[in-house]
Amino acid sequence: MNNTIGTPEGTRDRLFAECRACRQVEKAVTQLFKRRGYCEVTTPNVEYYDMITAAGHPLPQESMLKIVDRTGKILVMRPDQTVAIGRVAASKLSGLPRPLRLYYNQTVFRSDDVNTGARSEIDQCGVELIGAQGVRADLEVISMAIDALDACGLKDYHIEIGHAGYFSALLEGLGLEEPACQTLRELVEKKDFVAYRKALAPYQDRDEGRALMQLPRLFGSAEVLEKARQLCPAAEDVISYLETIYDVLAQAGLSNRVQFDLGLIQTIEYYTGMIFRGFSEGAGSNVISGGRYDRLIGQFGDPVPATGFAVDVQAVADCLPMPEHKKPETVVWYTLSRLGQARELVSEMPKQTAMLSCGDSPEAAAEEARQLGAERLILVDETGVREVAL
Amino acid sequence: MKRLRIAVTKGRLLEDSLDLFEKMGLDCSEVRADTRKLILPITNYPMDCVLSKAADVLTYVTHGVCDLGIVGKDTMMEHGGSYYEMLDLGFGKCRFALAVPEGSDFYGTYHSRVIASKYPNVTKAYFAGKGMDVSVIKIEGSVELAPLVGLSNGIVDIVQTGTTLKENGLVPIETVAPVSARLIVNTASMKLYQKEIFDFIDKIEAVQG
Repeated sequence: MNNTIGTPEGTRDRLFAECRACRQVEKAVTQLFKRRGYCEVTTPNVEYYDMITAAGHPLPQESMLKIVDRTGKILVMRPDQTVAIGRVAASKLSGLPRPLRLYYNQTVFRSDDVNTGARSEIDQCGVELIGAQGVRADLEVISMAIDALDACGLKDYHIEIGHAGYFSALLEGLGLEEPACQTLRELVEKKDFVAYRKALAPYQDRDEGRALMQLPRLFGSAEVLEKARQLCPAAEDVISYLETIYDVLAQAGLSNRVQFDLGLIQTIEYYTGMIFRGFSEGAGSNVISGGRYDRLIGQFGDPVPATGFAVDVQAVADCLPMPEHKKPETVVWYTLSRLGQARELVSEMPKQTAMLSCGDSPEAAAEEARQLGAERLILVDETGVREVAL
Repeated sequence: MKRLRIAVTKGRLLEDSLDLFEKMGLDCSEVRADTRKLILPITNYPMDCVLSKAADVLTYVTHGVCDLGIVGKDTMMEHGGSYYEMLDLGFGKCRFALAVPEGSDFYGTYHSRVIASKYPNVTKAYFAGKGMDVSVIKIEGSVELAPLVGLSNGIVDIVQTGTTLKENGLVPIETVAPVSARLIVNTASMKLYQKEIFDFIDKIEAVQG
């Protein structure tokens, strides 16, 4: 491969309309964040490797893009935005009144297997609501996640909400030893329901065992909550919490945008309570992911609850019709003494349809305009402004 | 109803898959017809079949261009990917085994061992689980050849009857993992087309008994 003109594995150049598609998503989402009182922060593209691992980030080492700096310290290209924001919140922003409302619009970097089509650069727009606990904080972020997808112009989408507590309650009821629990948890995370059912086979004479067996199907619209309650009365707290969330969102007119998955376990282990993902027609994986992470910021010495989500900008853009690439319409040629007037003229035209000519003469400008496929040439000289047919 | 798309592994698994579909009452005549087409409709059920190589089934389902897939656990173990593994379909049964030349004592030495395999990831994971240092060499063709010509001390490969091993003087000494065909589902399709996907899964479970 030619390393002088190619781009590294998993990266690409985005041109024109592709670029605009992503910028439109970013704009729609960040405008919404601002309207809801969130302030932007940016964090460095590189962080200390130790910082990421201290936060308990479970991303495998080989998936992080590493750099060794001049002093020999290991740096990673930002593998996760929430950890970086947590670091900022616990240090520079620890004196500010809570809750903190922060948003970001940055890239996370991954170093995944080659030839899988996986992206190494993932543009994320997201929010973190830090220092707030309870149903209002969760409702704020979930409803904002719905509004964000709406603002982007997605039509066929929903947010799926789960809670880490339901699965834990079932496991606790079964009274398994920790290694066995860990195995089941890993199988659910890996979505390997064949091995999961096999592991549960010995417990089918118990209510909890039968309930766990149902877990792979325990998702869908709000009725699933009632079913989940019957299967595990011990998880009443979790179920009634999710019901409250549903009822409030339904009253706000968002019931058709919400579903539940009691088997949703985020692979990122800093999530502690309610977790959610967004799915859209046209995307082969989730376009939003988020949830509550009450223990993360404590790792940096400031134990505060927090919740948030991130929008996968490219994934959303891919679900939308590609914006049109604007064609040049007008080329403006000027004599050197008329630059001021020519600039004004171009600025008044619709964006990206007009430009100044670089030609030395009106004839050269006409040739330039024809090459560009423009519709007209405007000449600005001592005699005034006039349009020339091409 | 949304029309689902299923990627089915070509070869022997395809035969077993079509037998299963027909047991479920699906009309596979278009799929069985000897054409060069690679996307084929089930005429009496809202589903199209995509025929592809095993590893590509994983790729298509991970990317969501196919909602479902039928593929061997061996390929899943080697290539990974992100999808729901929903059912053990019970056909395509075989096993991953460690096989060594007859009469050799694979573990009775402190020398580092060399293993040849078409499945380097499965092999590495297996020996890492044992805390053993082994060199794994990837072989594309007949793996049985590697110990015969002195390249490796053993092989990790798919074993069905063991006949090929025996003819080449190899004996399976350990099962690494059992293998059979699985039904996998794309993560987003599962959430977007829950009704359609479970209708299909229920139909399979009904004939599986």
